[in-house]
Amino acid sequence: MTQPFHLDEQIASVKDKGFLSFRTGELPTWCPGCGYFGITDAIYKACLELGLKNEEICAVSGIGCAGRFPVFMNVYGFHTLHGRSVPVASGVKLAREDLTVFAVAGDGDALGIGGGHLPHVARRNIDITLFLFDNSIYGLTKGQSSATTLYGQKTSSHPSGNPDTPVNPVKLALAYGASFVARGFAGDPEGLKHIVKAAIVHKGFSFVHITSPCVTFDKSNFTWNNLKENHSPIDTGLHDPGNMESAMRMAEHERFKIGIIFKDEKRLSYHDNLRQMALKPK
Amino acid sequence: MSRLDLVVEICGSAGEGTISAGEILSRFMSEEGYDIMSFDSYPAEIRGFGKCVAHTRISRGGVLTPGKFADVLIALNDIHSIGQLSVLKEKGVLIYDNKPARYHLEDQSVVGWLEPGMTPYGIPLTELSIKASGNARARNMVALGAFSALFGIDRDAFTESIRRRYGKKQQAVIDSNVNSFLEGYAWTLENVRKMDSFRFDGMSAEVKRDQLIINGNEATAMGALAAGLHLYAGYPITPATKIMEIMSKELPKRGGIFLQTEDEISSIAHVIGAGFAGERAMTGTSGPGFCLMSEFTGLAVMAEVPAVIVDSQRGGPSTGMPTKHEQSDLNIALYGGSGDSPRVVIAPTCVEECYQAAVLALYIAEKYQTLVILLLDFFLSNSIKNMDPPTAPETKYLNAHIVPDAEALSDYKRFRITENGISPRTIPGTEGGMFFATGLEHDERGKPVYDTVSHTRMTEKRFRKHKGIATEIPAPEVSGYEGDADIGVVAWGSSAGAAREAVEYANEKGIKAACFSSLFISPFPESELKLFSKRCRKILVPEMNYSGQFANMIARYLERPMERLNLVTGLPMASEDILKKIEEIEYL
Repeated sequence: MTQPFHLDEQIASVKDKGFLSFRTGELPTWCPGCGYFGITDAIYKACLELGLKNEEICAVSGIGCAGRFPVFMNVYGFHTLHGRSVPVASGVKLAREDLTVFAVAGDGDALGIGGGHLPHVARRNIDITLFLFDNSIYGLTKGQSSATTLYGQKTSSHPSGNPDTPVNPVKLALAYGASFVARGFAGDPEGLKHIVKAAIVHKGFSFVHITSPCVTFDKSNFTWNNLKENHSPIDTGLHDPGNMESAMRMAEHERFKIGIIFKDEKRLSYHDNLRQMALKPK
Repeated sequence: MSRLDLVVEICGSAGEGTISAGEILSRFMSEEGYDIMSFDSYPAEIRGFGKCVAHTRISRGGVLTPGKFADVLIALNDIHSIGQLSVLKEKGVLIYDNKPARYHLEDQSVVGWLEPGMTPYGIPLTELSIKASGNARARNMVALGAFSALFGIDRDAFTESIRRRYGKKQQAVIDSNVNSFLEGYAWTLENVRKMDSFRFDGMSAEVKRDQLIINGNEATAMGALAAGLHLYAGYPITPATKIMEIMSKELPKRGGIFLQTEDEISSIAHVIGAGFAGERAMTGTSGPGFCLMSEFTGLAVMAEVPAVIVDSQRGGPSTGMPTKHEQSDLNIALYGGSGDSPRVVIAPTCVEECYQAAVLALYIAEKYQTLVILLLDFFLSNSIKNMDPPTAPETKYLNAHIVPDAEALSDYKRFRITENGISPRTIPGTEGGMFFATGLEHDERGKPVYDTVSHTRMTEKRFRKHKGIATEIPAPEVSGYEGDADIGVVAWGSSAGAAREAVEYANEKGIKAACFSSLFISPFPESELKLFSKRCRKILVPEMNYSGQFANMIARYLERPMERLNLVTGLPMASEDILKKIEEIEYL
């Protein structure tokens, strides 16, 4: 027998936790046990700890399970088109430098249909943060292969196994010239919170790859157990995020290391670049 | 001559200064108080010896079209000009380079191809250019000198105009051009006997130094900037690229943002992002790029975000004919995209109107929180017109945000159902005004819902905005015969100029003809069109597309048989074509 669920009561019971000010009144539509709850939690807490005001944040998403994120965050939210969260978020930021802008996308959204926008937002170094919710599956359309689905994995679009080799999101971001690249894990909201804070604070394009299980459509590969077993924090004594070669090695060989993989703090953001160019004599 | 109306063509090969000679001539004529319209043609290839034609119509009483045929042909290149003789009128004038025969192969001097009745003037262009400037490059200026001497143009005024044109260049460049012009003028005055009847009279009666000489792309860009454009995102595509180039120079000066994106999808995405953020934004493209933007046109309507797209149409479908004229994107502008998606479509009929159209587009997009499509075409984008500097838009056009009051904010419903369809909108940064916008169907708070009542009410609300927009559109332009007419020409976009002119000519011939055109295609002044239709025995719809896209659209208002003129020549509509059709129709 299940207890009737009252959202107001639930919220009231945890009122001391200020991060709930970022919560909207809407009940998340994600499946029970979804990793995206953990990600959302980490983003709320990061915003709270950074002292950001709700009205100064703009969260732009695409289509897919991750695309629903702005419904559940009490900020200026814009649920756009499949694959287009990045260029729309870039448009918001270019028009309004004062806003803190998030682009939220799933693996299908950011690496499949919208993959063409990534190199350009990275090379422009537009000061937005991309949260890539990667569960390696198309969840909202019921379990088809995505750009990060494992080779050979059986999915509803590839019942005999996925014949395509998955892309490596972190390696792509590094190759495209993102000035901040990190990986987090939905099962480690506390660790993810620190990564999110660093990503938001970073002035330039921040790419945050967040691994998560899809509890409904992937029962064998990226499950909670498998992910928990494989994930471990980056040993900061061995890896320097300022070193591109080390970052590339890590991207290639350490697919489940979590933490900040690469950071270039010297590079100018797009707006700073424009300002500097305006000063140069013609 | 009661009303001077002269079409001059300069024909040469790329690199001979053909287009710049045309530009110098039209600038000077405009300064002297004449109306001019130029429509040049040059090869799509940037290099090589392709044929260039600078085409300018000069008139005392307003020009609506560049004219299909030429009164004067100035031949800088014989081979190219032989082909161009086909547009020279029966009693036309040819100014050509009478180089010694050894310069030509047999049959390759343009003068050998002249029809009886035409008047040739042989001028030693090459020889005089070398004499005046030391090389043959200034033949174009010698030709302008000869032209001025033949047609009674004030030598000193023209010289001054050339000096102003080259004002910032080195003295040697100015001297070489001016001297070549004077050389051509003096030689012609002394050696040529005038045989034709064309003459410019009353020169310098009304000097207009402050005239703008611009094309439709420039006028559109100026209008958008005057209306407070903040962000322009674009991707290079003929014939809209010029708008992007202007924005790349002008926006940074005004604290705005210009972005060259990776594709047209990204362009419109940036425009919609900026619109969501509360700033005025626009993109410009042509048919192929507009196709890529289709999905976003629906989002702008659904999520109620202001967005302006300029589509300068070219020959289609697919990549089509990038440097040719057509009006065949009306269907995609009106009906492109999925679902029931009301959209505003504005189609300026002339260069001057492009400015006003851009102002209105940004204003309506912002006030009604929706998508506005500005339909230009290859001809409008590239034809050059003189015009008075436009007056700055009234303040009401500069800030049209409708924001919620404190009471509405206390229980804020971003997509509140209202009588006029406009829901007051908060701009990001407004405390307590947070909302969620989506391309999904939604309730008044933006929450995704799929129930029948919500979808019905929201669809109705989105369509209701058009009632308000319809009250703000300029009155249609009606010209020609004022009573019960035999024929009513209903035209749109850049073909409207040719239609008005054809109706004028028909009236002169005693045909009771009238003309109707509207700057707005959607919403459309339906009742005015019905009134117009009632007093016309026949209706003719001329347009530059094969399927009659505009005729099909107005058919649902008029419910009567219509004559159609559908051309896909790749050239602008000519008044001669419409007049011919008017004369062919049987008026029973």
